[in-house]
Amino acid sequence: MNIKNKKWTEEEFFKVREEVLKQWPTGEEVDLAEGVKYLKELPDHKNFAKKLWTAKQDGKTLAQPRAGVALLNEHIELLSFLSEEGGADLLPSTIDSYTRLNRYEECERGIKESEKAGRSLLNGFPGVNYGVKGCKRVLEAVDKPLQVRHGTPDARLLAEITMSAGWTSYEGGGISYNLPYAKSVSMERTIRDWQYVDRLVGWYEEQGVSINREPYGPLTGTLVPVSISNAVQIIECLLAAEQGVKSITLGYGQCGNLVQDVAAIRTLQELAEEYCEKLGYENMQITTVFHQWMGGFPEDESKAFGVISNGAAAAALSGATKVIVKTTHEAIGIPTKEANANAIKATKMVLNLLEGQTLPDSEELETEIKQVKAEIKCIMDKVYDLGNGDLALGTIEAVKQGVIDIPFAPANVNMGKMLPARDNKGRIRYLECGNIPFTDEIKAFNTAELQKRADFEGREISFQMTVDDIFAVGKGTLIGRPEKK
Amino acid sequence: MKNGKTIVIGVIGSDCHAVGNKIIDHVLTQQGFNVINVGVISPQEDFINAAVETDADAIIISSLYGHGELDCQGFKEKCDEAGLQDVKLYVGGNIVVGKQDWNTVEARFKDMGFDRVYKPGTPIELTAEDIKKDLGMIPA
Repeated sequence: MNIKNKKWTEEEFFKVREEVLKQWPTGEEVDLAEGVKYLKELPDHKNFAKKLWTAKQDGKTLAQPRAGVALLNEHIELLSFLSEEGGADLLPSTIDSYTRLNRYEECERGIKESEKAGRSLLNGFPGVNYGVKGCKRVLEAVDKPLQVRHGTPDARLLAEITMSAGWTSYEGGGISYNLPYAKSVSMERTIRDWQYVDRLVGWYEEQGVSINREPYGPLTGTLVPVSISNAVQIIECLLAAEQGVKSITLGYGQCGNLVQDVAAIRTLQELAEEYCEKLGYENMQITTVFHQWMGGFPEDESKAFGVISNGAAAAALSGATKVIVKTTHEAIGIPTKEANANAIKATKMVLNLLEGQTLPDSEELETEIKQVKAEIKCIMDKVYDLGNGDLALGTIEAVKQGVIDIPFAPANVNMGKMLPARDNKGRIRYLECGNIPFTDEIKAFNTAELQKRADFEGREISFQMTVDDIFAVGKGTLIGRPEKK
Repeated sequence: MKNGKTIVIGVIGSDCHAVGNKIIDHVLTQQGFNVINVGVISPQEDFINAAVETDADAIIISSLYGHGELDCQGFKEKCDEAGLQDVKLYVGGNIVVGKQDWNTVEARFKDMGFDRVYKPGTPIELTAEDIKKDLGMIPA
């Protein structure tokens, strides 16, 4: 596979495209020229990229749920409910897990069994199976912009179908939709397949149609240190920019310590802009998305509302352009539409109360920003180094060598040597750095912060802290302290 | 200390939730079980092959993403065909789509041939106790 971080030629793109459209019969419905025409006729308020950029200028944080079911009419009903009753600013279509692994025949079975059972047996909307026509029906039935949210290593056909149906935002990326979502897909494969998606978006951009791209920030959603998730976001931003993407929303999953959360979003925005400018990517529209707590949730719904509202507050105070809303059914799985709408309402109430406010500068915040930037620099420099200056090659090699290492990721290719844990204030630190090339100073800082917790709790620094932290929020605290005897 | 019992664990279907799987592996191994972990995104056949190859005493299927109902259809029958009639079958996690009446869900999975069915959020320590009872390692 010949991989380089270089914009694909039209010839290369259209050659691969022939194969992509053959992956499932609905691929035949995709016509790029018609897609452009359709997208140009959409009103501004149904274009995701435009709505986000306006919010960014106005200093607003928009709220977006996750949602998707197996049957078309039920899916439309669900989205309409979240828009009208919940007041969602932006709408999603969460795609089911069979589609995410390109198992379209199993989707057919899931659709049929759902029809028979009278309830959704799939955990999302099988967009490829419904094709351009089905996806257009969804878009035309709602009055907000639509985004595809999924977890698909090879998301090329899904991108072709949904974009030509007027869906104007697409989540994912070559790292963020591989390591947390797949078991045995190579990095070479996903980097290349996501270059295709980015090139498709870049192509639309060149025809005068802006489609938003959103690398997936939270990764495994489990104690991911800020510098790792930010580095992955910056890399995916730059890989997308090379293919001609202009509207990019970079993501981050709430860690839970307010200062660290604010530092993460501010760093993400600043560094992405800096790198794009340095590398000559012009007229970029970079925004950020804050994901409410992605780890285990308390089962008690009132407690869950606490977690949701806390996430909304952190999103607002960090200045993120968008917040992704969790629900009180998180502990048991997929929410009802009522639970989903209630969580959006709670979130929007908090956003309204905090509109125009940000967390004020402080020494603590400055220190945290400086720390995360120093850590990111170590990772980014090494990635470029490993690729001899080529970001795509460097990324592939960096994953292999554990320079990019995601905690608890299912992918075989992920090193899994790095371990995180919370410090005594609940910030996520590196318990084991694995092969991440940090300076001695950075390693010592992380260890010292964890030692403060160890001293406070009267135990050694160990993996047991990590395990305790994983279950802590579900049990009602941020930090997994040992149980008092 | 090994306790002489072998358990196959894994996450079924197209489900990539890896965190709980790693914790289950960690805890059961600590308790002395010989743990065969087929990992995430595992088809029924992977569980069955692993159980046949290792002469397993129990299989624990995890499902966190809602497709558990589709993914587990016919599992017991395939186990029986493979000669695994005596292997205890456990399933747990967020095994259906959405908030449904638990008794109905439990009955649905017991009808499918599972010995025990676990609610969302059940600690693995509790399942481990049940397994020890079911395998005659401690009094029921």
